[in-house]
Amino acid sequence: MLLQNTFVDALNDAEWAFPLAECIHIGGFAIGVGSIALVDFRMLNLGLRHETPARILKYTELWTIVALVFVVFSGLMLFLSQVHIYLINQIFPIKMYVLAAALVYNFTIHRKVATMANPPPALSKVVASVSLLLWVLVVFGGIFTGFLE
Amino acid sequence: MSIAQSLENIGFLSDFADSVLVYPIVLSTHLTCIALFGGMIVMTNLRLLGLTFNKVTITEMITTLRPWKRLGGTIMICTGLLLATSEATKYAPNPYFWAKMTILGLILVHGIVFRPFVYNRTQELDQSTVIPGIVKVAAILSLVLWTAMFTMGRLIAYWEGPAK
Repeated sequence: MLLQNTFVDALNDAEWAFPLAECIHIGGFAIGVGSIALVDFRMLNLGLRHETPARILKYTELWTIVALVFVVFSGLMLFLSQVHIYLINQIFPIKMYVLAAALVYNFTIHRKVATMANPPPALSKVVASVSLLLWVLVVFGGIFTGFLE
Repeated sequence: MSIAQSLENIGFLSDFADSVLVYPIVLSTHLTCIALFGGMIVMTNLRLLGLTFNKVTITEMITTLRPWKRLGGTIMICTGLLLATSEATKYAPNPYFWAKMTILGLILVHGIVFRPFVYNRTQELDQSTVIPGIVKVAAILSLVLWTAMFTMGRLIAYWEGPAK
């Protein structure tokens, strides 16, 4: 009963749009970042050892790109709905810089090393660790944007 | 004093809720686990549905990622417990929180119910040319339950108290 009222109220006020965009944002990064993490885990020799990183990249790449498109668009919706709050936020621009770095890194250096036939193991490990670090920082940046001004 | 109040008043939990940095760090860790280990769950389910990783065996997908999912699940539960108990009086009346806990229970039931048909039968599944219907049902239910799980988690923040 209580739950039902809460749902109806949320819909009546059309306030569901923001949480919906947030849920798409979260679901999207679970798939986008999670699929990149699978490649990273392989490069770190931590899982799916019977496959090469290149093959895992091939399997995940389309999912990564589609999911990241959803993440970026839902993020843009969240930003546009409260532009004034984001523009004065001190954490938000940092998150954007790290995000830009993570995206560029993912489709350049990360991709290059993941698809190399015989990369030096140390190189693979460093590249995968940097990838994981960048994406974790993006997630932290998103939460801290909401908590600090 | 209610159970929720007593929980909240435990020294380190009240310090935790009052800290400017610790609370968002724990919440970020909770969300990072969604990204890293939730993604593994999604990819495993997509494999069971035959949508990707087609040449990777189901056994490889499930057995090599299992320890990481367990680690991720443990971190999620620990950080989630900290988040919920430090604000127990806010969470206790929140219907979305209880919806989320119910879904968590259903996820455990899902694991137990499908274990003999899917998760403990991977080598047999790898030898079969088609993926049996029950495996696909398990994968779809898992995706639905986890989506409901994080959606309820997000909605917890939107509940403003009982209607007046």
